[in-house]
Amino acid sequence: MTLPAKLQEIVDDFASMSREEKLETLIAYAESMPDLPERFKNEREKMEPVPECMTPVFIIAEKDANGGIVFHLDIPKQSPTVRGLASILTNGLNGCTLEEILSVPADFYMPMNLQEAVSQQRLNGFIGVLAHMKQVAVKVSAE
Amino acid sequence: MSYAHPEYLVDTEWVTNHLNDPNVRIIESDEDPLLYSIGHIPGAVQVDWFSTLQHPLRRDFLTKETFEEVASKLGITNDTTVVFYGDKSNWFACYALWLFQYYGHQNVKIMNGGRTKWEQENRPLVKEVPSYPATTYKAKTADKSIRAFRDDIFKQMEAKKPLVDVRSPKEYSGELTHMPNYPQEGATRGGHIPGAVSIPWAQAVNEADSTFKSAEELKALYESRNVKPDGEIIAYCRIGERSSLTWFVLKYLLGYPTVKNYDGSWTEWGNLVDAPIEK
Repeated sequence: MTLPAKLQEIVDDFASMSREEKLETLIAYAESMPDLPERFKNEREKMEPVPECMTPVFIIAEKDANGGIVFHLDIPKQSPTVRGLASILTNGLNGCTLEEILSVPADFYMPMNLQEAVSQQRLNGFIGVLAHMKQVAVKVSAE
Repeated sequence: MSYAHPEYLVDTEWVTNHLNDPNVRIIESDEDPLLYSIGHIPGAVQVDWFSTLQHPLRRDFLTKETFEEVASKLGITNDTTVVFYGDKSNWFACYALWLFQYYGHQNVKIMNGGRTKWEQENRPLVKEVPSYPATTYKAKTADKSIRAFRDDIFKQMEAKKPLVDVRSPKEYSGELTHMPNYPQEGATRGGHIPGAVSIPWAQAVNEADSTFKSAEELKALYESRNVKPDGEIIAYCRIGERSSLTWFVLKYLLGYPTVKNYDGSWTEWGNLVDAPIEK
């Protein structure tokens, strides 16, 4: 299994962290997640919802100049854990090709040992976000 | 009409006036455990329902001994007034309060409106994590009169006593929101416990500021569904977090004498072999 390089790097980083470091890093990812770009603010009906998350999560994607896919997510600031996890995915996958994105297995995060820091319920939401990002990527590639 | 036990509820102003009260400990308990780290009420400590309040191995709460250690580390004595607040209309604040009561802590309160109201009023949030001198804390034997186990549910069903399902209408009806090939968490079967009435937890709170509805509104809500003070009531949801809010409302705001929270909830019942289910 080969993950996109950036995502692999994040997985390796987390694998070597203590529980406390994982939590701090998740907060940093949550706080660094950019706001939804202004041009998408009134496009909610075009965005993909993620019903697996108890938090409202919406995804939209576009192609960059090199044909890579770039995701934009809208997640409330009151949900830092979901933001942090989703931000790992956008950091790891933005700019990747459709094939690279679709090749990420649903259990890619296992070596990160996130379960010591985050509840299983939340990790299922995390995988829900990934699954919906794949669907959005397929859609944007077909456009 | 006022709440039956108004002493179990304080408002944000009360908390502001007791930030430096040595007899008061403020505890944040959230659905999202990272919220505390990005900002909390000055002087507040954190408990997390998952990493602090659960048993590390079994599906159960932390033991009495571990509870004593947690209370001691948070600087709580047996006489401390503990005020809980949190996100999501105080779901997990109520869960933590319920657990403190389970181990016999008497002086407990909920900050009405929780984080939502505190933030709406632009009250201060800080990142600094306080530390308090450790105490000697003695917990009581677990109070099983407020906790229901699966055997209690079978008895409750047979006796046709009230069961309140506080999940969303779609969870109650057994409709699943899932995608093909996506692993569903929780329960292998959908639906509800036979005879349970559906009264979603959110109907007990005001959407605008997460405060509890008035005593009149709450009385009308539950009594119209035949959930009355003289009944021995059991509330459940998916893992017992949302139903601890309903438990709090029925027990302290409406003063029902016998109310239990079934923390096994749907993730136990919906997986239990030979348990009847209604859809």
